[in-house]
Amino acid sequence: MRATQLTRALMAPPTASVDETWRTHLRAHLSSAITPVVERLPCGEQLTVTLPLLRQAIAHPDSLAHDNVPFAWKPIFVRRSLGLAIVDACVSGRFRSPAEAADPVASEAVAEWERTGWRTFHWEPWLAGLRQGTRALVLAEAVSWATVLWASLDWKALGQRPQIGGADDQWVCPAPRTVRLKGRSELRLPLVGGPARSSEVGQITAPVALVSVSGGSPPLAWSDELSFLALVAALRSPSRPVPARVAGLWPDSGHHLIVEIGEEALTAAADRVGATVSTAVEARLSVLERT
Amino acid sequence: MPVAEIARVPKGASVDPGTDIAMDAGTFSGDIRKPAVIPVHRATHDWQPLAGASLLERLRVTGRPRLKADPELRRELREGLESGIRCQSPGKPTGGPDVDTASCLSAPVLVTKDRLTGVLACEAHYVAGEFGERPPTLAMACGALMDVLFRQLITVGGIDDPLVDGLAALQIDDRQDDLASWIERLSGADRIELRTELERQVQGLHRRWPRLEPAWLPRTQEAMRVGLAGGAVRLSARVDLAIGTPPEGEASVALVEIKAGARRVEHRADLHFYALVEALRSPAPPFVVATYYTRTGELDVDPVTEELLVAAARRTAAGARALWNLARGAEPRRSPSYLCGRCVLLPDCEPGRTRPARPGAGRARRPEGRATG
Repeated sequence: MRATQLTRALMAPPTASVDETWRTHLRAHLSSAITPVVERLPCGEQLTVTLPLLRQAIAHPDSLAHDNVPFAWKPIFVRRSLGLAIVDACVSGRFRSPAEAADPVASEAVAEWERTGWRTFHWEPWLAGLRQGTRALVLAEAVSWATVLWASLDWKALGQRPQIGGADDQWVCPAPRTVRLKGRSELRLPLVGGPARSSEVGQITAPVALVSVSGGSPPLAWSDELSFLALVAALRSPSRPVPARVAGLWPDSGHHLIVEIGEEALTAAADRVGATVSTAVEARLSVLERT
Repeated sequence: MPVAEIARVPKGASVDPGTDIAMDAGTFSGDIRKPAVIPVHRATHDWQPLAGASLLERLRVTGRPRLKADPELRRELREGLESGIRCQSPGKPTGGPDVDTASCLSAPVLVTKDRLTGVLACEAHYVAGEFGERPPTLAMACGALMDVLFRQLITVGGIDDPLVDGLAALQIDDRQDDLASWIERLSGADRIELRTELERQVQGLHRRWPRLEPAWLPRTQEAMRVGLAGGAVRLSARVDLAIGTPPEGEASVALVEIKAGARRVEHRADLHFYALVEALRSPAPPFVVATYYTRTGELDVDPVTEELLVAAARRTAAGARALWNLARGAEPRRSPSYLCGRCVLLPDCEPGRTRPARPGAGRARRPEGRATG
């Protein structure tokens, strides 16, 4: 799908809507499915369900039982957040393209951290201490990632400026052990033509389309995975409209796929969450047994 | 198949970046100029590598019409590949739809340029080499370092100390850990040799490689994936440099591969594989694929045509079929090839031992750079 076609499809008026009663039902349904499963975990255990976990539970369930590798910064961990900042700088008109924006945007982030001590992206101290060769690699990864997103949409055709990146959507399931659902989208595009709502801070919020960028090729269950992002956004706050649609971009394979969000899509995503929680709990219990 | 062209411009025609021809900054593929005409009085027989705007012009102006976005061509290429993969190997009944039974393999058959070249040269050598770790060499180190240094040049526009910068980039890459450690442990003489070669190649890059307009959307190490036969086979490539906005109605992207070593005939086939994968995943194929040799400044350029794509699809289908059969446990076929001289199976390999000797075979020769990327 070309940039103009994708943009048009993303910005089309919503085709389905989810009413508040059903959303309440969805919360209760998910909580009742998760509660008996996570009760098997020891007190104090927590589980965070993300899109990568959903994928891992299907593709490599055995790997869930492996010990976590200690975190260390790598270029691949920086490319999304720096890439989004780069795209944001291009959308705002400061730069003509990601290749032009990368170095100044990264330098500004580091300078801001040095000036204030505040880490907007968390990687600023790491980036500041890198040698030129490593720093260039970090920038190169971010430029390639950002360029693909930048070239995927017809930005001028978007009615309003989209939200680029931003905080993840989160919902904590009221279960005996903490189960947190986290949804991360690259873009939120406000749509015209759907019902607007009042947000918690009194602003009117229009329905949105979410955009998610992934590596590789779309899996068989791509529709459920994209719907998961809408599910978390829908559960997060009753005052925000349920996303109207979610687009998935798989630049490596050239796929752009869209799922319209209705009750059916959200139910499928909720079922997938339930199955993932089961798999993850089994894996966690097997690790605890080993130790 | 298109006639392969090698960029050879007489001495005097090479120019410094930005001094001779003002390039269009709008799109990489837009506003195509006619090829530069070399005045007769400037032409001599001494070959000089292209530089700056001339090099860019060589990439942009192929002299061939660019392919349009053609869903029918894409469909035919895909179907041709899938039917080619489905044909069983010689000696067995043909035409069986065995690839459809993807469930008999735990993972998709991965087809990369190196796997294709290896398995098509000799299946037995490919299988023997698949499980062995290749010991690092200076040429291998030089290739890996030049890959990251080229990426650095494209991204930040400069390189300070080639060995220091390159090593820093390799050390952060988990896949290059072993090689980076090996380089760090090099003896003084080897380290000097590697540093000298890197500095020479980087100087050449600085002198000749043109500045790319940001508006052309240059991106490095672009990953390309295509699934075939219901996901049973996966074509995978990662190109050093892609330039040009993604295609809408017409081919608009140039793919460039960097090689630090000597030119080899299989590099051409690698390029054609890239063109095929890009053609399958995008609305239009790339308009050109090229290899740039950092050691010499040579530039091999192939305009992408339907014939090139069809030939690449045939070769890829043959290789993918062989890889598929091997993954199912088929006996690897032994074929005499240029690899026999360094094959561990040679002592017990009849086709290898009886292959006709090539002129010059066995002569001591300084190892040349490994093709990387």
